[in-house]
Amino acid sequence: MILSLIILYVLTLIYLSIADRFRNHTTILAIQGLLLFGIAMARLHEYHPVEMSFIIAETLIFKAIVIPAILMRVIRMTKINRIHSSSSQFGALVMSIIALIASCTITYYMADNRTDMIFFGVALYALLSGLILIVMRKRIFAHLVGFLVIENGVFLFSMAIGVELPMLINLAIMLDILISILILGMFLRRMDNDIHTDETDALTSIKD
Amino acid sequence: MEMIIFIALSLLLAVAPLLAKSERAVHLIAGGFFLTQVASIALIIGFRHIDEVMLYIFRADTLAVLFHILMTAVLGFTLIHSSSYLKAENVTLNSYKTYYTLLMLLAIAITCVYYSDNVAMTWVFLELTTICSAGIIYHREFKQSLEATWKYIFVCSTGIAMAYLGILLLSTVAEHGALDYNALKEVIANGNPLYLKVAFLLMVVGYSCKMEIFPLYTVGIDANYAAPAPASAFISTALVNAGFVSIFRIYDLYAATGEVFIWARHTLILIGILSLAVGAMFLRRTNNYKRFLSYSTVENMGIVAIGMGIGGVALWAAVLHVICHTFVKSSMFFHVGIMRHIYDSYSINRIGNYMSINRVGAIGFIIGTLVLLAFPPSPLFISEIMIFSEIISVGSWWLLIAMLILMCVVIYAIWSRTLRLGYHYNQDELHLSEVNRRLSYSATLLIVVAIAIGIWMPEVLRNAIDVIVNIG
Repeated sequence: MILSLIILYVLTLIYLSIADRFRNHTTILAIQGLLLFGIAMARLHEYHPVEMSFIIAETLIFKAIVIPAILMRVIRMTKINRIHSSSSQFGALVMSIIALIASCTITYYMADNRTDMIFFGVALYALLSGLILIVMRKRIFAHLVGFLVIENGVFLFSMAIGVELPMLINLAIMLDILISILILGMFLRRMDNDIHTDETDALTSIKD
Repeated sequence: MEMIIFIALSLLLAVAPLLAKSERAVHLIAGGFFLTQVASIALIIGFRHIDEVMLYIFRADTLAVLFHILMTAVLGFTLIHSSSYLKAENVTLNSYKTYYTLLMLLAIAITCVYYSDNVAMTWVFLELTTICSAGIIYHREFKQSLEATWKYIFVCSTGIAMAYLGILLLSTVAEHGALDYNALKEVIANGNPLYLKVAFLLMVVGYSCKMEIFPLYTVGIDANYAAPAPASAFISTALVNAGFVSIFRIYDLYAATGEVFIWARHTLILIGILSLAVGAMFLRRTNNYKRFLSYSTVENMGIVAIGMGIGGVALWAAVLHVICHTFVKSSMFFHVGIMRHIYDSYSINRIGNYMSINRVGAIGFIIGTLVLLAFPPSPLFISEIMIFSEIISVGSWWLLIAMLILMCVVIYAIWSRTLRLGYHYNQDELHLSEVNRRLSYSATLLIVVAIAIGIWMPEVLRNAIDVIVNIG
């Protein structure tokens, strides 16, 4: 069960590298939220209501519903549609495959008996995929998606090493990330309104 | 209990300006907020709460209290200078209220970073400082401030997400998820060395956006450029110190790891020398006084990182360097804010003749420059000499030579720009007022404090640094 969810998660990351419509990016993020919910629930060894409600809040409500809803709202408001036409899908796919191979190699050398190798590798791949999105795409919205992919990767990573942080800390971390996303979304809209741009190439007015 | 009262009262006062009906009411609330900070420090020291754990996640250790005192000192001046700055900018009452609210919220988040006794909560509060700073950076609402704000939030959030990964790796050594520094220190030696190294790298890289060192220093430069000058003074001292405290606590933790600690110190030396190189290179290139001072922060924090990397006496000197840098750099930013009142510009190439236009400000700025460049009796002279002597004693001659070359470039760049400001002819229109003279005096007062530390270092400060660096 967990393995099939993990494989699906890897497929969403590969698809994300070639998807060119922002609505698709948002849908993939929602699917990733659902998959993370499934993975986290499947890993629960015993019924623990507080832990379960936290998983539901963080994955199902926060990652699968709230964040995609905010992104869809930003898309509607700014009327942005797709990644830059000059971006190469093939190049992005090649980079994504290289990242996958690199993740497997690093995992092989790094993971010890305390970590789950599959989770570790996929989490690393998610992190690299997020970074590739940020580096290779010109549109600011794609950067926001990249940041969220990294955040999902971090969530997987915490499962890979089986760390159980106190609930208060988990809650604080979740709220922090939610506020960051809200503020990033707000500023993205403001940039679209005030300087009529959603591309990073236009963000070069500050220089020495 | 005291911590709950302090945080609740501070939060209440921080949001109170939003309900204020006049600027005077905002000033009164800000004054109340400042007094709350002073009272909380007095309470901790007076009732001997030092090293007590509060609310499970805070600990009032010497490091936290010392940096809280520094932050409060800078905050007092920031509140005064902000008022004049905002009046000169003719901002609306709403904008005025928002600015003060965000400044006070930022001060609370920074205080929580200082006192945090839990590696994950330090991360949470650092992320909170990003959110509070964002509103201040965007306060002037022009194109560049929007760009700077976006970059600041995005890079800090991504960088801090990386730091969180480091925390997760570090937590593999934790028992039952206990992430407070003391508990981690007891078990860290059992950790996987490779994990610990990667964790250290990720945390230092993530927190570098706050401490304004290589590699994520750029966002701090842009933030200082876009924010109002008094807020830049606060960001480039109190917030930079928050980054320093976070990295110092990790450093303290790693002191128990043996071989990994040596590797971590080498990493800090590399980061330090790269920061120094970046500072030296861009100090020559920039044409904006605020960016100029920000690159000077990168250079100084580079020296601090090198001091931490060398260890021993250099570590003591690094802490002293941060303390004195707080006074000098905040003063310099306040002076630059006054210059902005007068010239309505930060352009290095256009403004000049400051010695004739505002003699008090010009003398203050020149003395500040000399102190910043570590000319005696600057306290930075003492800290840098101590770092150099420790470098010589460990035999890192290549490091010493590299540092000396880069610092020569820094001295030339900073001194030539200061002379240009003082004596070069001015090309911009002037907006003189009596307020500028009074503000110049107040900004110079911070430099006087720094010089006083250089000449006569109080025993209490010496002891406090001794306690802070007593690690391992």
